Amino acid sequence: MAYELIGKNFTPPDLHAKVTGKAKYSEDVRVDGMVFVKVLGSPMPHARVTAIDDSAALAMPGVHGVLKADEIATNPPAPQETILTNEPLFVGHPILAVAADTEELASDALEKIKLTYEELPFTVDPLQSLYPGGPNARTNGNSMAGPELRDVKWTAQDFAAVQEGQLPQGAPGAEWSFGDLEAGFAAAKVVLDETFVTAGLAHHSMEPRSALSYWQNGKCYLYGSTQSQSFPFPTIARLVGVEAENLVYVSEFCGGGFGSKGGAYPLMAIPALMAKKINRPVMMRVSRHEEYFMGSARAGFQGRIKMGFAADGRVTAADLYIVQECGPNQGFTDWLSAAEAVSLVYQPPAMRFRGVSVMTNTPPRGPQRGPGQNQIAAAVEPLIDKAAKQLGVDRVAIRRLNAPDNSAKLGARQGGVTSAYLKNALDRGAEVFGWAERQARSGQRNGSKVRAVGVGTAFHPAGNSGFDGLVRITPDGKIHIHTGVGNLGTFSHTVTSRVAAEVLKAKWENCEVVRGDSSKHLPWNLGQFGSNTSFTMTRTNYAAAMDAVAKLKEIAAMDLGGAPADYDIGGERVFAKSDPSKGLTYAQAAQRAIALGGKFDGHVAPDDLNAMTKASAAGVAGTGLVGVAKDNVPLTGTVPALAAGFIEIELDTETGKFAVLDYVGVADCGTVLHPQGLDHQIKSGAVMGFGLAASERHIYDPQNGLPGNVGLLQAKPPSYLDVPSEMKTAWLDIADPQNPVGSRGIGEPVQGCAAAALLCAISDALGGHYFNRTPVMPDMIVNAAAKREPSHKPLQVNTA
Amino acid sequence: MSRDMMSAFELYQPDTVEGAAELLGRFGEEGWALAGGNDSFDWFKDRVKRPKYVVDLSGIAALKGIRETPDGGVEIGALTTLTEVERSSVIQGRYKLLADAARRVASPQIRNAGTLGGNVAQDARCWYYRYGVNCYRAGGNTCYADTPEGQNREHCLWGADRCVAVSPSDTAPALVALDATMVIVGKGGQREVKAEEFFIGPNIDITNMTVLKDGDVLTAIRLPAEWSGARFYFEKVADRNTWDFPLVNIAAAMKVSGAAGAEKVDQIRIVAGAVQCVPRRLTVVEQVVQGQAKTAEMASLAGQSAVRGATPLNFNHFKIPLLQNLVTRAIRDA
Amino acid sequence: MADNTNGRNYPEPRFDSFVSKATSRRQFIKGVIFSGAAAAGGGYLLSMAGCSGGGGSAAGVERLLTLNVNGQMRPVDVAPNETLAMTLRYKLGLTGTKLGCDRGECGACTVLLDGVASYSCSTLTHAVRGRAVMTIEGLEGPNGELHKVQQAMIDELGPQCGFCTPGQIMSAVALLNENPTPTRDEVRHALSGNLCRCGAYDHYLNAVMRAATGERVSQA
Repeated sequence: MAYELIGKNFTPPDLHAKVTGKAKYSEDVRVDGMVFVKVLGSPMPHARVTAIDDSAALAMPGVHGVLKADEIATNPPAPQETILTNEPLFVGHPILAVAADTEELASDALEKIKLTYEELPFTVDPLQSLYPGGPNARTNGNSMAGPELRDVKWTAQDFAAVQEGQLPQGAPGAEWSFGDLEAGFAAAKVVLDETFVTAGLAHHSMEPRSALSYWQNGKCYLYGSTQSQSFPFPTIARLVGVEAENLVYVSEFCGGGFGSKGGAYPLMAIPALMAKKINRPVMMRVSRHEEYFMGSARAGFQGRIKMGFAADGRVTAADLYIVQECGPNQGFTDWLSAAEAVSLVYQPPAMRFRGVSVMTNTPPRGPQRGPGQNQIAAAVEPLIDKAAKQLGVDRVAIRRLNAPDNSAKLGARQGGVTSAYLKNALDRGAEVFGWAERQARSGQRNGSKVRAVGVGTAFHPAGNSGFDGLVRITPDGKIHIHTGVGNLGTFSHTVTSRVAAEVLKAKWENCEVVRGDSSKHLPWNLGQFGSNTSFTMTRTNYAAAMDAVAKLKEIAAMDLGGAPADYDIGGERVFAKSDPSKGLTYAQAAQRAIALGGKFDGHVAPDDLNAMTKASAAGVAGTGLVGVAKDNVPLTGTVPALAAGFIEIELDTETGKFAVLDYVGVADCGTVLHPQGLDHQIKSGAVMGFGLAASERHIYDPQNGLPGNVGLLQAKPPSYLDVPSEMKTAWLDIADPQNPVGSRGIGEPVQGCAAAALLCAISDALGGHYFNRTPVMPDMIVNAAAKREPSHKPLQVNTA
Repeated sequence: MSRDMMSAFELYQPDTVEGAAELLGRFGEEGWALAGGNDSFDWFKDRVKRPKYVVDLSGIAALKGIRETPDGGVEIGALTTLTEVERSSVIQGRYKLLADAARRVASPQIRNAGTLGGNVAQDARCWYYRYGVNCYRAGGNTCYADTPEGQNREHCLWGADRCVAVSPSDTAPALVALDATMVIVGKGGQREVKAEEFFIGPNIDITNMTVLKDGDVLTAIRLPAEWSGARFYFEKVADRNTWDFPLVNIAAAMKVSGAAGAEKVDQIRIVAGAVQCVPRRLTVVEQVVQGQAKTAEMASLAGQSAVRGATPLNFNHFKIPLLQNLVTRAIRDA
Repeated sequence: MADNTNGRNYPEPRFDSFVSKATSRRQFIKGVIFSGAAAAGGGYLLSMAGCSGGGGSAAGVERLLTLNVNGQMRPVDVAPNETLAMTLRYKLGLTGTKLGCDRGECGACTVLLDGVASYSCSTLTHAVRGRAVMTIEGLEGPNGELHKVQQAMIDELGPQCGFCTPGQIMSAVALLNENPTPTRDEVRHALSGNLCRCGAYDHYLNAVMRAATGERVSQA
């Protein structure tokens, strides 16, 4: 399919602001009379606040108010994540907030507040909490079963029944299976039974989630940092306690989220609630340390997988158990998604999943890039290598054999996919990377250094349907593409909007992307998470643009005769197919739309639109020709994003350090919308993958619940010098049949495949030493190379 | 719990060493000498250390610069930035060990502001201590790291004495290897202290990493001619390749004689960082290696000798093979 | 494993222990403001033997400085404990310089001081003195002409979320001013004090190399 705009590079309109410093993130907004709010975070891992004496703080000149949990009517009820709390559940948990003229004064005021605490039991290890009599993160329980909080304990026999280093497998909180597990393992030539640990780690988005709010005439204005623009809106309104028409939410620029800012989060309500209380504009500048505590983290896994492989490497059965560390709240669905990922990536004919999600007194967990899918890729991919080695099968070949294609099934219900070409991706990557040649020289030593290669694959569901689009042609001939897509750094707000321009055959210079401020009448979109945007919002823009095209033709037929089907569009005109000179310019059609009113100019809008879109259509009604529609095209099957990564490293056995010599990332994501952007995501996803694999983790002291690595220095996200100077990318560009331009999303598996490839390469460099743990850090490599035992126990979590 | 806004202090900006010393002497424990600030601001922003008076030394021209001295050595002003030390043609030409060490400190921007004096006078990085707990080093009566489950991956192998923090500096081992002398101006006037004695462990003073007392100003670091132009080896192993403090580092200065392939180590000073509260002079290694052939076997023997008596904690066992390997490399690859 | 309390040993909440210190400092500050002389420091705030260039700055009391920022002399009231990043962002209306960590651990606050890349979050404004401060806002020409690094960042799609971008650009400008023809590896090392959580390193390097050579780098 030859497109004018799709698949072409362009300059995203927000780039200029980003390179000149003009881009305004929340903390850059300035309002006359604004004061500063600072939050008091708990010094203890679990406690009850029994008394708050804020009198000394309130007496300080320049201190405007203190906000406490009890006065927040909209505080989500336990066990949800709270705005403020009197039962802090982790070190750093926000208890109260103080507003003052300056940030320094607010900090001084916090120090004057006297709190009395009652210490409560705590835990930083799910298995400890599962053990009989073990401490619970919450006073009423340690695990959610649906909406119910339960106290889940395994039996002493469960723990005694396993060997040292094996995950005990007590009663699960969730379970599913398909196929004949027993027969599958019986038919296997090689059966692995591996226990593994993947670390929780902080998102550490570059921009801490500062927010600014003020009220004017009963309306709340909130400037916040979210990955998405429309999606968070209803939740923010609820948290702040206003109806939709009384909220203006602006998130024009977001300095990264990686899942932690996909939707609204309770913290963002604090400046709004404080501003309402003290009747002043309030800035909440979140520090890096606070961003660690309140900015979400990936769930940790203590897991075990039993996998059977036939002689040719085909997976015959998989039995997966995951104990998820989900922080002090419900956490996220990593444990469930991990199982789904295993079912998709390896296509086991028989599989069982069991799991339990257990709370700890550590920062709340939320989705982090490939939540579940990327941890399990990091854990399981090296085990695929282990099986391949035992069977004498090539590591790319074994993955190719098991890889999903169009007939793939996934999950408990073994549903289908819209399309999948992971085999092709592996073939392409192997070719670009030169797998055969490099694999042959893998293991070559140069003094203490050894070269090694690795390959990794990953998956994430990547698309949804049922959301709305809104486009508008004004009498000056300009096309305004309204989008609810946020600005998290993928440029997808504009990339997906180009579908509307493509459908309208519009010149890109005549198009304006309208975004970033809820008062600009934006449609209801799904949020920018879950790798969905390139599928979901290409559909919405397609639907809205098609509605506009239909209306253009209708107006032309009305004015010029014939039926709408007699007309075509091109050159920003709608014209008769039989006589192209007979037509209207878009500008003229827009004027006509206003004159006609009704559905043409947005005064009447389809009934199935979301309330937000209806309000937005009403808001632009009368300004031009309005195309507004819900994406009602059915979606059958899961839309997959698939990626493969190929890596060559040189590892120094004496120091435990390695250098990445080469990396090739391959994307199977349908039609490529924006080559430069995809190239960017594959490479940057790899950087995050290297961090997941080899440098980042939570550290907690189990004796006192103190966090060991709060700031960026200690968190160790990869720097320029920890990643290769150059990387290569490739993509299949095979259209998906269930998207109007063939596009699927891609943002998450490009991290997982890189993490997996790196871990496989490290194991390869060490001659087949499998750590069964992430991250693999220099100390672990040094110990392994020196044939020493690791310092940590196999199931130990949150450890240095 | 950090707040990011430093609490208020009075700021003094003298332009002479005497002025600075006089101020610091008067302010005593309520005063604070500020050089580049990279260590200081962390404490201030966390409000863990809160001096009433901060004396900014950055305006004192006399504390900056690298000059060759009449005795054939080099004197480096304490407020000379790490970038200047790294790029100095004199240091690169004659004392490359120090240039190599300075280059590996932190990040370029930190090296642009951070000073050599600040780098050697910096405080321990034990995360418990930095967090603000009331441990021995903070004047309290407990240690959090040296506990049955303490997270002490980055802590010491020797010299544990209630405190198990390590010397985190990259330049300190190099300066000890170069047999540097620290010049200090204080209440009693000016004094000189050998680098090896400048750093102190908990057995001498558990709350200080160096001999600097309230009222002291480290003014210069002198490198003697003795090791100018020697054979050097510096290596730092850290988790990331920028910013991170050393897991272990090694600095060696050697006098080597003989033809290539048949070299002999006549004299050697070799120092390891981040394995003890002070830069650890590996005297056993020096004794083993001195006068011996510079071979792979000797290097291996040196490595083994380096780790004798090491006492690992819960999570830092790796420092034993790592130190062993770094010592081996220093002898083998220098 | 059955013991709930773990013999925990976390620190006492520090709020109580700091109350008294803060109170006395408050009184001290009030004393300075109202009397014009330090209560405890004698005359050292106003004159200093052997300390030319003025005395100390009283705690909490802002003093008027003139800073050379982007080629303009900007008068501004600055407290002793104020960092350059805060002065730029909250007093001089220059929000292009970002606060990513405030600890010198990310580089988002990078500005140039006399052309040298520096973390403005870890620089006391009072310590800047006469050095020329250049921020991201100062790179454009008088008519909005972009600096070649900025243009290259656009052409090579350098940024993603954009939050680290101003700092990256400032470090790149410092490098190219000193070394107009760096190798890619030299660029990598020069920018190694700038973190990018999005991981946009490859494209950033492409952009700086393009700015240096004038040649397109990306093949995508």
